Amino acid sequence: MSEGVKSSPGTGPGVSTEEPHNLRGGIAVAVIALLFLWSTFYISSPAVPRTLSILLIAVGIATAAGLVPVRAPQDYYGGLVLIMLALLALVASAELPGQRGFAFGPGTAPRLFSGLLAFIGAAVTLVGVVFEGPLIEKYKLRGPALVILSIILFAAMIRPFGLIISTYLAFMVSILGSREMRWVESLAGAGVMTAFCWGLFVWLLNLPFQLWPQSNAHEILIQQFSDIFRLMLTPFLKFLGVM
Amino acid sequence: MSDLLGNLALGFGVVFQFIYWNLNIFGTTVSIPVPINLVFCLIGALVGTLVGVLPGIGTVATIAMLLPITFGLPPVGALIMLAGIYYGAQYGGSTTSVLVNIPGEATSVVTCLDGHQMAKQGRAGAALSIAAIGSFFAGCVSTVLVAALGAPLTSLALLFGPAEYFSLMVLGLIFAVVLAKGSVLKAIAMILTGLLLSMVGSDLETGAGRMTFDLPELADGIGFANIALGVFGFAEIVRNLELPEGSRDILRAKVSGLMPTRQDLIDSSGAVARGTLIGSIIGILPGAGAVIASFAAYTVEKRVAKDPSRFGRGAIEGVAAPESANNAAAQTAFIPLLTLGIPPNAVMALMVGAMTIHGIVPGPQVMTKQPELFWGMISSMWIGNLMLVVINLPLVGVWVSLLRVPYRLLFPSIVVFCCIGIYSINNSPSDVLIAALFGVIGYWLTKHDFEPAPMLLGFVLGPLMEENLRRAMLIARGDATVFMTRPISATLLAVAAILLILSALPQIRKSREILVE
Repeated sequence: MSEGVKSSPGTGPGVSTEEPHNLRGGIAVAVIALLFLWSTFYISSPAVPRTLSILLIAVGIATAAGLVPVRAPQDYYGGLVLIMLALLALVASAELPGQRGFAFGPGTAPRLFSGLLAFIGAAVTLVGVVFEGPLIEKYKLRGPALVILSIILFAAMIRPFGLIISTYLAFMVSILGSREMRWVESLAGAGVMTAFCWGLFVWLLNLPFQLWPQSNAHEILIQQFSDIFRLMLTPFLKFLGVM
Repeated sequence: MSDLLGNLALGFGVVFQFIYWNLNIFGTTVSIPVPINLVFCLIGALVGTLVGVLPGIGTVATIAMLLPITFGLPPVGALIMLAGIYYGAQYGGSTTSVLVNIPGEATSVVTCLDGHQMAKQGRAGAALSIAAIGSFFAGCVSTVLVAALGAPLTSLALLFGPAEYFSLMVLGLIFAVVLAKGSVLKAIAMILTGLLLSMVGSDLETGAGRMTFDLPELADGIGFANIALGVFGFAEIVRNLELPEGSRDILRAKVSGLMPTRQDLIDSSGAVARGTLIGSIIGILPGAGAVIASFAAYTVEKRVAKDPSRFGRGAIEGVAAPESANNAAAQTAFIPLLTLGIPPNAVMALMVGAMTIHGIVPGPQVMTKQPELFWGMISSMWIGNLMLVVINLPLVGVWVSLLRVPYRLLFPSIVVFCCIGIYSINNSPSDVLIAALFGVIGYWLTKHDFEPAPMLLGFVLGPLMEENLRRAMLIARGDATVFMTRPISATLLAVAAILLILSALPQIRKSREILVE
């Protein structure tokens, strides 16, 4: 839900805010809103989300065309993402039954709070147009990517390869995220941490962990990866009505 | 009064409870009698101090990290330990403020001003010990306060119907937003996001899957620990990696003469008392209690001092007051949680999560239904404070040497520790992935200057709020004006509205920003 804004990093203070960032940011907003519009064709009561997504597309195009004076990109794009989040919740809860008689249905509260969130999101966006504010800080790639990668690796490997190997590897991958990494120290540190985790979780707390690789490790690994893809893709496909 | 003493006695009984621990050492089983809750209290206090000392790991992140470990423990022990981490961190933060001019926690930022000056003048020992003594005094007073206010507030809360409860939660959240740092509007947006996240999963009444995209992993909702660890653990690490590793100028000088002189004690006694008072009051209010309390106490000291120019140059009052205040506030923050079931800040939200996982619904019922938990926790706070004074001062050298552990080794350790912790809750790799996703979201939030704490508050309060809202509406036969026509509920909502309007006034906003900066 936040991909759109990621592509619009600020370049630091002192640079004026119009120009390529708003072009890219605006296009990203419009494209994501278009996907939302698409998704509204697969739900039964599309009026509100459809209107919202059409509005968002308009805002995105206007931003890309430089028609919107974005004074505080942090707030402006932050607010737009909040509206998208509200839209997502609206679409996701569209099929839930609403109020019946005096009783709230399961869908009432999600829709109520998404509506409020969309409203507040619009207010935050407006603040970004009216008041001067800071640019979006530049996103770093190396640190975050490697830390997240190490977590995903751990999730995929813990079952097939066991605690010892996954912990050691996750440590090594995440430490690559730091520019001050030193090999000898890191290899030793990973060993100490692995031993510590074994001592705490397995020896002291007696938690049931697979310690060493299972005999059919590669099969389970493939299974784990397919699980990861399913987890990541299903919401997206469902949302677009493909599944 | 005798009730209070009886209850405290019950609490101390719980704290000094012995159980037999069957330890399996390489095949032989040994039974050792252990004062189990005391041990948890000690572990919590030590870990808290450690975290307080290390900059770059916050209290919230640590409690989130240790949450999975506490699942296997008995509930009383788990909560005692988590509470210990919380106030232990207040102590630890001051140690680094004084010795290395790096506040380990946001609550000890002001302590740097005079504390480090004192250290430079060779009075580090006096500064540390007055901080510890002040904290201990504040801890004692606020423990009694928690115990004394517990009963009346609880009986008040028991009178509340669903409409009042809903309004009370709205007020609590608004309070938290207005007193916390950053934009009020964005904080409200975060609360709403948290509320929406809490609705993912099966509906409480009908069992219908809500916003789950038919994923079985989401059928039970998003795990509380996953969000907390993702947003406060992983995101914070990623964030810290971006900062240049500052040179940590460690004070080489030996800390000698731990005892403050008689004059020091006389000088600081007033400051400690004032700090405790300010801290206790501010702590009860939701929001960033302990941080604001320390700033407010420092400001007040400067105002009442005969010679304000001494501040910033090593005035002992400048250490005593904020340290007492932050500890008092950290403790009294338990009052809204334990009596009304409303967490006033992110740490307390984590405590709610811990309680829920142990099957305890925080709120007024805790005191009547589980008195040993309630009073055990309160008594453990007092014991924990005593432990901190005793263990902290002699161990100062150890804590400071820990600062030499470079962050480049620390952060991968935290990453793997968090991973294992999350995995161990349900033996589920998808939980780890969800936490990673929240790590990315948390990183994005910081880039756009959104505070993650209100989101966690909203997430924790979400189910309770929705339940009460639904019930109130049902009882009122679908009439939404019920929140305005019932007097208590109307008052609470009016106060919330006034607070919001006040926070939007330019004058108040300015002073709020100054206070928070």
